[in-house]
Amino acid sequence: MALISNRTEANAWQKKFDVQAPRVGEPAPDFELYDSEGQNPVRLSDFKGEKPVALIFGSFT
Amino acid sequence: MYKKHHEQVQFLSIYVREAHPVDGWWFGKGPMSILLKLSRSKVATDIYDPTTMEERRAVAGDCEESLKYGIRTYVDEMDDYVNQAYAAWPTRLYLVGVDGLIKYAAGLGPFDFHPSKLGNAIEEYLGRLEPTS
Repeated sequence: MALISNRTEANAWQKKFDVQAPRVGEPAPDFELYDSEGQNPVRLSDFKGEKPVALIFGSFT
Repeated sequence: MYKKHHEQVQFLSIYVREAHPVDGWWFGKGPMSILLKLSRSKVATDIYDPTTMEERRAVAGDCEESLKYGIRTYVDEMDDYVNQAYAAWPTRLYLVGVDGLIKYAAGLGPFDFHPSKLGNAIEEYLGRLEPTS
């Protein structure tokens, strides 16, 4: 039952936010984040006009 | 892919909230735990979902250290702003062009997590950027 509940929750989360996720040809939402030391801020828009950016999202589990 | 293209493409690895923490949809027991062991996956099975930014950074640092991709890991804030903006959880890939527009958007993870497709998109995009003589 817990497995089904977790899967249902995950599917609901994805369905909720995927509708607003950028599609090909749309602007990439800008952001500024810090590294795992809380340092070296990076802003996506800083690369505009400079380099393409590959975004790789994930976690440890 | 990173080794081949890192001079032309900025790679940003972004840690978002845990997919299968001990206190959530845990893969540390049952058939999935056996598959993970057999595949010698570097996926962790002993992580609790971080509840503070300090915990999140620590787990992200451990993940970066374990994977050894050589790509600096950036950490989404506890409000999950970036994660939600890209519907990125549990894992997802994008390519953003020099013009700031999306050039490749993978489908939802984990089933559409195919680094080879991102690699192909990078090759194709860089090819289009090549100056024509």
